[in-house]
Amino acid sequence: MNKLYLWGIIIIASMLGFTYISVIRSKGGLNGDIINILTIVGAVALVIITVLVVIKYVRQMQTDTADGELVDQTWDGIGEYRNELPFGWAISFLLTIIWGMWYFTVGYPVNAYSQIGEYNEDVVVHNNKFEKDFNEKMANFSETQKAEYMINMGESVYLAECKICHGLTADGIDGKSTDLNEWGSAKAIVDVINNGSKGLGYPLGEMPAGTASGADALDIAIYVKNGLSGETGSEAFAVSCASCHGADGKGMGGMSPDLTTYDMPAFTVDVLNRGKKGAIGEMPAFNRLNDKQKEAVGAYINSLSE
Amino acid sequence: MFHWLEKNPFFFAVVVFLTIAFAGIVEILPSFAQQSRPVIGTKPYTTLELAGRHVYIKNSCNGCHSQLVRPFKSETDRYGDYSLSGEYAYDRPFLWGSKRTGPDLWRVGNYRTTDWHENHMKDPIAVVPGSIMPAYPWMYTNIADIDTAFAEQLTVAQFFSVPYNKPVPMKDGSTVIVKMGKSVADAHSLALAEAKLIVADMKDQDVKDAVANGQIPEIVAIIAYMNSLK
Repeated sequence: MNKLYLWGIIIIASMLGFTYISVIRSKGGLNGDIINILTIVGAVALVIITVLVVIKYVRQMQTDTADGELVDQTWDGIGEYRNELPFGWAISFLLTIIWGMWYFTVGYPVNAYSQIGEYNEDVVVHNNKFEKDFNEKMANFSETQKAEYMINMGESVYLAECKICHGLTADGIDGKSTDLNEWGSAKAIVDVINNGSKGLGYPLGEMPAGTASGADALDIAIYVKNGLSGETGSEAFAVSCASCHGADGKGMGGMSPDLTTYDMPAFTVDVLNRGKKGAIGEMPAFNRLNDKQKEAVGAYINSLSE
Repeated sequence: MFHWLEKNPFFFAVVVFLTIAFAGIVEILPSFAQQSRPVIGTKPYTTLELAGRHVYIKNSCNGCHSQLVRPFKSETDRYGDYSLSGEYAYDRPFLWGSKRTGPDLWRVGNYRTTDWHENHMKDPIAVVPGSIMPAYPWMYTNIADIDTAFAEQLTVAQFFSVPYNKPVPMKDGSTVIVKMGKSVADAHSLALAEAKLIVADMKDQDVKDAVANGQIPEIVAIIAYMNSLK
């Protein structure tokens, strides 16, 4: 009997004894609980296995002698056994290299996370959803429902983007910006004739104030409001406006604003696209709205003056 | 030498450290430098804009307003394109902020204008019903500190090579030259010229008179700064 085994038995016995005193003899004890019993069984098994394993290796250190085939070379008098690479290791090594190549060329680049990529996907999903919903609704709506839908949509865009300057009720907050309740009416045209129009950035430049006055201005306003038709104002229009806007009011092919679209959403869309530096202040272009939203804002604003 | 190193663990450790540190520098520094290079279209602040930036910091606007648009659809819908790190190349310090009590201001120049700011800073609730932003009436009387702004311009031009008086490339392929004065008096006249352009869109008669007399109230400087954020 080696001294080692004796120590092993002493340690096992003392630990089991300690476990017995601290768990089984103490108040409550195992309590008949299967989990507690399994835990204790596990603990006992662990103690015994640990002690046996330690004894095995300490014994091996005490008695073992080396065997096997030495390589020819020595390093400062220290030799080394010839150890073949285990087959499993060789396979894993090769697989690791193959996986590494895949990960380097395909795995990482294709699957890498990118915040901007996620953003772009988000935008595409959102835009498609908007498009789909919009087209579905439009396909099922009657004409009045369509118009109503555009006005409602325009109102919500207006409340997010426009009310900050034009006010909740679109009255321009006490003259701080254009009163949109009049925009699209004949009175607004008279205002533009009196004050001029700046900053739309058409090739013909800015419209000066006071190209017509008094009754002429009012006649022109009525003429433009009526879609450039009727007797009233046609003469005054030809004198005061046609030189820039063209005799037909279409803006001479994009040289100046197309007046035939006045009181249609397209007129507002034009302002949203270009921005404006009016008599009151400067309005930025709203290019972040999509085309449908711009049209909706136009529909809403026109609905205010009707 | 390697043989010697193998016998001297301390110096071996030093050389290992240096090797790894060098590899780190080679890997990290170039991409860091690339990221912090100004984005095309980013230009240095003018004297008046810098003075406005100082007003912004002085009044702790950055306590409630952030200057960083994150890449989320909800944010880009509201504020415009998400921010890029190179856009902050001339911001010293950057004013990203960490809390939005008010909205983000990084691109406020795209959707608010001089006259709007004028009305809003005087009485926020009159323009934005329900706003909790306080009014800043003193900005209409306090005079902006152009000297400090000019001192900052001189410093950053000298030590960080901020391209004042040099062509800066813009997005449309053109170049813009942001001027910096040669002397304090020169800087004042440049700032005043800039202030006159802004005051042309303002209505407050006292502010207009002050600028006509060669004084620049803080409100003009901060509006110049707000308009420059695009």
